[in-house]
Amino acid sequence: MTGIIIILLTGVFLPLFPMSMIFNAIVDNIKHPWLRVLLFAVWPLIGLLIVYNSKVVIPDWLMPMALTTSALYALRMLSLREVTQWSGFLATSLWSLLWLAVMHDTPVGLLYSYAISMSTPLVLLVLLSAGLEQRFGAAYTGLYGGLARTIPRFTGILVTVVVAAIATPLFPTFFIMLDMIVETISATPLAAMALLLIWLLWSWAGARLIQGLIVGRASNVKILDMEITTISLYALILLMLIIGGIYLSGVIL
Amino acid sequence: MERLIIVVAVLPLVSALLIQLFAGRIGRSIARVSVAITTLSFLLSALLLSWALIGHSPQTLPLGNTTTIFLFDPLSTLLATIILGISLIVHLYSVRYMAEEAAYGQFFVLLDLMTAALLFMVIAGDLITLIIAWYLVGVILYFLLGQDTRSQTAYRFAFWTLITYRIGDLPLILAAALLYNAYGTWSLTTIFTEIMANPDAHQFLGLPLTEVVAALIGLAAFARSAQFLLHTWLPYTMDGPTPVSALMHAGIVNAGGFLINRFAPVFIHSGDVLNGIFVVGLITAVFGSLLMLTQNDIKKALGYSTMGQMGFMIMECGIGAFSLAIYHMFAHGVFKGTMFLSAGSVINDARHDDGIPKDELYTFAVEKRPNAASQPWLLMAAITLSVPLVILVFAHLLIAEDYFQKQGAVVLLFFGWVTGAQLIFATYRMRSQNIWRLVGLSVLSLVVVVLGYVVISHAFDLFLYPDPAFRAQLYAAATIDLLRFDVLVVITTLIIVSGWILTYYAEQNGYRRRQQTKRLWLNFYALISREFYISDIYTRLSRTILSISGRLNVWLRWL
Repeated sequence: MTGIIIILLTGVFLPLFPMSMIFNAIVDNIKHPWLRVLLFAVWPLIGLLIVYNSKVVIPDWLMPMALTTSALYALRMLSLREVTQWSGFLATSLWSLLWLAVMHDTPVGLLYSYAISMSTPLVLLVLLSAGLEQRFGAAYTGLYGGLARTIPRFTGILVTVVVAAIATPLFPTFFIMLDMIVETISATPLAAMALLLIWLLWSWAGARLIQGLIVGRASNVKILDMEITTISLYALILLMLIIGGIYLSGVIL
Repeated sequence: MERLIIVVAVLPLVSALLIQLFAGRIGRSIARVSVAITTLSFLLSALLLSWALIGHSPQTLPLGNTTTIFLFDPLSTLLATIILGISLIVHLYSVRYMAEEAAYGQFFVLLDLMTAALLFMVIAGDLITLIIAWYLVGVILYFLLGQDTRSQTAYRFAFWTLITYRIGDLPLILAAALLYNAYGTWSLTTIFTEIMANPDAHQFLGLPLTEVVAALIGLAAFARSAQFLLHTWLPYTMDGPTPVSALMHAGIVNAGGFLINRFAPVFIHSGDVLNGIFVVGLITAVFGSLLMLTQNDIKKALGYSTMGQMGFMIMECGIGAFSLAIYHMFAHGVFKGTMFLSAGSVINDARHDDGIPKDELYTFAVEKRPNAASQPWLLMAAITLSVPLVILVFAHLLIAEDYFQKQGAVVLLFFGWVTGAQLIFATYRMRSQNIWRLVGLSVLSLVVVVLGYVVISHAFDLFLYPDPAFRAQLYAAATIDLLRFDVLVVITTLIIVSGWILTYYAEQNGYRRRQQTKRLWLNFYALISREFYISDIYTRLSRTILSISGRLNVWLRWL
């Protein structure tokens, strides 16, 4: 009984539906960008901390539940238009897969690096969403469009961050997904298929987000583009993510 | 020396980085850097190809202590040279063609990244590098096709490409995961060596692993090479810049043929899968060619023509003629690339003067009004049927006497015969002052084409698969039961000959049709003009999924 309570509690942080709704409700209600950043950065780490300190035995039924949560949020991402909300749903979909890594006895240190690797692009996306809100009053896809012509530097970073978040090579999440598929394919082929389907939904949702924001004619109003120093900072973090991904591939594959 | 192949692949990456860093300072002349580096890379790859041609044995080139391995072998050197050759032409063309574009520098960055991804794909000696390159080709192509960020249509169809490519990534990833689990290594060479030594060592869900992996690789190739049901992206991605269309149709779309060739050691133990691949290729070739004939947009017609050609290429793999598929890929790449790059000039010239002489060829080919023949019908029919057959048999006898024992070769001969006969049949229907001269010329061109094709394909065979036993195994794997094969050949011949006879009688009757036949014909035409409703079905399906997604969000209050 205690085990189930712990799992339910952990299901808030390593999302399991319906507990996953708590995280998204908090994301929706926090308006300050740095608080959102903090939330995205630490949320899955709390979950991992609980799992490892409680030494709870993970039941088998958790795998389908985690996969269902991930698939549900990946599917729901397709019709989202608000960038922060989109980041929240992607976070839910990504973090719920950490249960699979926990079940495969992944070393603790590696698991934390999985969580950080998954969260970093999301943190950047939350910051970019704040940047959009600051410039346009809202971060909605399809609302203004044409960002590629209006603020090209900002768009370049935004597109790269989205690409990083949806597990594209050479970013770490790509290698994590690859590792999870390798781990599941023999014992539970259906789980591997589900992982691939979720991955496909992320790509679809990512493309819809990008298209909704960047495509269209340039705005007539002069909008301030991202400064070179800020771009350099984002580029540096993205480069570190790529290096981290390549390093991670050497460790896990 | 062999390690130069890594340099060949890295050079375009260096170019992309240089452009990204210095485009702001140097301006539009940065394109010259890209052209210069691509030229250098092309020259190096040509050098490596000549190295392989003079007989230097294949080598695996590990990257330090990592799992990353590159391959120096005939397939990688040949394809690297082809990719760089096409890429260089596209680079040169783009320097002026894209000059008015706002994101000029970004275009060259993407072009260089695409070249690098394709090169890494063909020289990959481990599954991870292969998957990464395979995946990135789709992502980079998405952004290349969406170069014009003002165009919603360009992005809409770029998305079709992306999602089809992503669907194609999934079976490759599954195949890689299965191979890694079974053999405990990502190295392609090691995996292939173990498969050759003991093909039935592993099973998956009660099926031989080699068959499962071959089927998955086949699926990945289908998506990349626009095979039927996964083809809709190809004819619609015409809103992208012309150089991208050229690169896509001449190079990227051929990746399916490359993948099947790379996994040839798996396919020789998967005969049933090869037969399936043949059927898919055949269907694609027929549907692609059929749809091409009904298009009135030159670029879309070219798109469907590529689909038909890809069908032929996959079909060649399905009959075990793996190296022929590579030759087909090369030949088609060159001619389709040229067509795309000239399409703009042709359209521009045609605005002033269509330049088409209104002679019998025009009335036959464009106005679809064949002229009555003045020669004896039976004599012409005999020439039509026998001449291509004699040429083909003679050409193949020159190469290898035992050629006709291979079923795959017979299929190719059959196709050669049908298309050759079609050519002479068409010639015969044209009115000319000297019909014998016209027939003589068409026979001569057929001789040149067939001999060239046979000799070159044989040369490709010797270069790519020098081991005669391996080549024999490839053909043997694609063999089907002799009785079934003969029955299929007879049925196909009957269908084709009936088509010819039907056309003949239709001509004799002046194309008069009964009301019922007319309606049937119109319905068939409507079906083709709507492209068999395949893209409509996909659109409906994706809208349904989006609607489900929206409803779920409403029910769950967006949390």
